[in-house]
Amino acid sequence: MTHLTSDELIDAVEGTLDEARQQHLDTCGGCRQQAADLASVLGEALAVAVPEPSPLFWEHLSQRVRTVIAAEPPAAGGWGSWLRWPVLAPIAALALIVLALAVALPREARVAPEVTTSEASDIRVDDRFALVADLVGDFDWETAVSAGLTVAPGAADRAVLELTALEQQALTRLLQAELTRAKS
Amino acid sequence: MTHGSAVRNAWAPAGTTGWTVTVVKPTAPETAAVTSVDGMDDATLVAASIEGRRDAFDVIVERHRRTVYQVCYRFVSNHEDASDLSQESFVRAWRGLKTFKGQSALSTWLYRIAVNVCLNRVSVKTPPTDPIESSDHFEDTRVEGAQTALLREERAATVRKAIASLPKKQRATLILRTYHDLSHQQIADILGSSVGATKANFFHALANLKKLLGSEP
Repeated sequence: MTHLTSDELIDAVEGTLDEARQQHLDTCGGCRQQAADLASVLGEALAVAVPEPSPLFWEHLSQRVRTVIAAEPPAAGGWGSWLRWPVLAPIAALALIVLALAVALPREARVAPEVTTSEASDIRVDDRFALVADLVGDFDWETAVSAGLTVAPGAADRAVLELTALEQQALTRLLQAELTRAKS
Repeated sequence: MTHGSAVRNAWAPAGTTGWTVTVVKPTAPETAAVTSVDGMDDATLVAASIEGRRDAFDVIVERHRRTVYQVCYRFVSNHEDASDLSQESFVRAWRGLKTFKGQSALSTWLYRIAVNVCLNRVSVKTPPTDPIESSDHFEDTRVEGAQTALLREERAATVRKAIASLPKKQRATLILRTYHDLSHQQIADILGSSVGATKANFFHALANLKKLLGSEP
């Protein structure tokens, strides 16, 4: 009969191993030793308690939560939760920047020129991109998902197909440079 | 003239016959009774919170703060961070209440939030564990020798450190199974995995813990 699997060893430690496998455990020294080792370390982990905080801590925690949610919109959320300045301001600013860039840049400039790696790194220190980075810096993944700012399947493929030949070449060079940098 | 109405001519001179008006003071409008939130079950509290009853959410916090704090403490092993993470978990719960469908118990949903908050935080930084002699905690050492207590606390710190060094899912599984007695199915729901994967994670967590503790002096 085969030895106990990892699942079965856990069942053995927890006392839920089925009868047939229990018979193997009773006769197999190796499996018994493994189960005993797991039970021993589990016992040691169980002995570690969470220190009890001060009795005043619990009300203090409630008060902290109360204070924060007092400044939050109602739990009902929905679109209402997005119609507030802390959310709208960065989005509006971002939209204005994109609009300003689209208007200010001449059409020729929008066609991606030959981009070298050093130029690509210059992008990071460009003030406009720094501003964008600052504006979106506080957005975490959960916020983006709940705002519906996720990428639909195939969207990246379509975006690449819409690039001009020059833009595709520039993108390829940037990706290769990043891959080389990641490997080194 | 008889009138069936209670309204009679009260301003008619005395002794005159006619109408008598009895002014009936209108009763004060009944104020809407504010239902006490204290006795509400979790589902009712959630519904009341969504309707804007912040006092209902306060009761939710009160009921679950110890559990959430303990989960957080198990992840970070120090009071300050556990306290911050607990607060963050409840704030996220408030923001996400509308997404709580009641398919699982509120406690399971709160576990999920707390675990996610902790996993996100511990992936950013691994905070230091509490010093053994922490003034924030009350430890009654009168019943045993101070030296025994110190040795026990040292060993506990070693175990906490070993748990903190486990891979994230193994750590989460170990914490939820060992210290919160959640079933493998509940843990699978919280971590978005299967029962098989949860058992495998638990096995590897214990095996790794054994190795780590075995290598400690």
